[in-house]
Amino acid sequence: MMAGFILIAVAAFFFPGVILRTKSIASGRKGPGIFQPWKDIAVLFRKGSVFSDTTGLIFRIAPSVTLATVTVAMLLLPFAEQKAVLSFEGDFILFAYLLALGKFFTIIAALDTGSSFEGMGASREALFSMLVEPAFFILIATFAMFTGYTSFSVIFNHFFITGNDYVLIYSIIGAYLLVQIAMIENSRLPVDDPKTHLELTMIHEVMILDYSGFDKALIHMGTYLKFAIYGSLIYNLVVPAGWNVILQTGLFFAVQVLFAVVIGFTESFRARNKMNKNPKFILTLSSIALIAFMVILILTEKLA
Amino acid sequence: MVNYLIVLFAVTLIYFASAERLSTYVRLVALQGLLLCGIAVFELKEVNLANLLFIVAETLLFKTLLLPYLLSRIIRKSGVTKVHRQAVPGFYLLLFSIAGLLISVILAVILVNPFINSIYLAIALFTLLTGLLLIVTHKLIISHLIGFLVVENAVFLFSLAIGNEMPMLINIGILLDIFVGVLILGFFGLRLKPHTNELTMLKD
Repeated sequence: MMAGFILIAVAAFFFPGVILRTKSIASGRKGPGIFQPWKDIAVLFRKGSVFSDTTGLIFRIAPSVTLATVTVAMLLLPFAEQKAVLSFEGDFILFAYLLALGKFFTIIAALDTGSSFEGMGASREALFSMLVEPAFFILIATFAMFTGYTSFSVIFNHFFITGNDYVLIYSIIGAYLLVQIAMIENSRLPVDDPKTHLELTMIHEVMILDYSGFDKALIHMGTYLKFAIYGSLIYNLVVPAGWNVILQTGLFFAVQVLFAVVIGFTESFRARNKMNKNPKFILTLSSIALIAFMVILILTEKLA
Repeated sequence: MVNYLIVLFAVTLIYFASAERLSTYVRLVALQGLLLCGIAVFELKEVNLANLLFIVAETLLFKTLLLPYLLSRIIRKSGVTKVHRQAVPGFYLLLFSIAGLLISVILAVILVNPFINSIYLAIALFTLLTGLLLIVTHKLIISHLIGFLVVENAVFLFSLAIGNEMPMLINIGILLDIFVGVLILGFFGLRLKPHTNELTMLKD
């Protein structure tokens, strides 16, 4: 039962490194090693934290809460034919809101610092998260409608054996949308740029500017785990659950690496959106999810 | 297979609502022509060969090649590359478009009958609404033209939905296509003066 949990944790170890390597290769640099992000985290763990006088309790607990929510969300994801550690009807709602709870704490912690830049970043992050939420829910609702179940474990187990001819449409649309949702949720291009150096243009980065040492390490860990979580969701959509477990494990890591490479290449070759175009960009994802949902409604004749 | 193409067709409509460059619009028009050709080939199994060849030739040559070529020529000549004169911001346009999708699905469910595939009906209605939205929310005359072409694709899709029963309807739709082609060519392709914006914007 713990296989999904462990595999996601393992994938999170190399995920950020693969993105960095891809970016350095694409831009012709030698670049850091695959495990450099985790070495940085190890350094951060050895340091203490510095807190500003204006911050309160919220600011101090937010990184731990964020990491905790992400870790619990990992327990909800299945691997192959095994059920997830936590699995019940409607667990995808808990999954989405666990991640949202983590984000909520990051946002109120940013407001807690009293910095106007951080408040601005928090406002943007809240808007983008709000807009991307319907896309995720409509997508999962589509899969629930497609398979007739409402739990991640059962949905993914039955995804490829419904006998429906159009499974490929949903697999492709789902993978595409989840890649985009992951990029937005993790504040990567084209919505946010993790490498920007100007506070005015930052979104996620500006919210965690005040963190240092141990707490910063927790936030980074949460981000890496979140990437691997979305990678795991994508994997569940593209690989049928009934295959051989060893093959599945190999494919799991292949999908994760491919996902990281896609992100790396996107960040290397794509410009960042203008800030005022982001809402439209994110809403486009919801619209595509809605098309998939409507088609499944008609195909399964649920509306008639 | 047809359903794959129809879903892709619906996705192009969403991109119509979110695109900002006229050249993107032209590419989308060409893609829609290609998709309609595919849908026609897979859907029309009972029409005779000559009729099918006529339809394929029309969608491929006219919708996919000639019309986009004419449109891009007009865009090149007028020097207007961006849809920068919208009456509403793009975000709301997209919201309207989503509302249009919901309305068309509800209408399709109300109007459902055993002779028509309801996905066709829903997507064709959605196409119609998107075309109308493009026309009412844009100020440039070229966007109005593209909106009209989208409406026309909707008519084509409608006629394909019952093409096996009434093949004549498709031919009438094609004649409408050619009429619009002549309209574009006559009004805008030939009479447009280079480097003036006079024909690209409607007077208020």
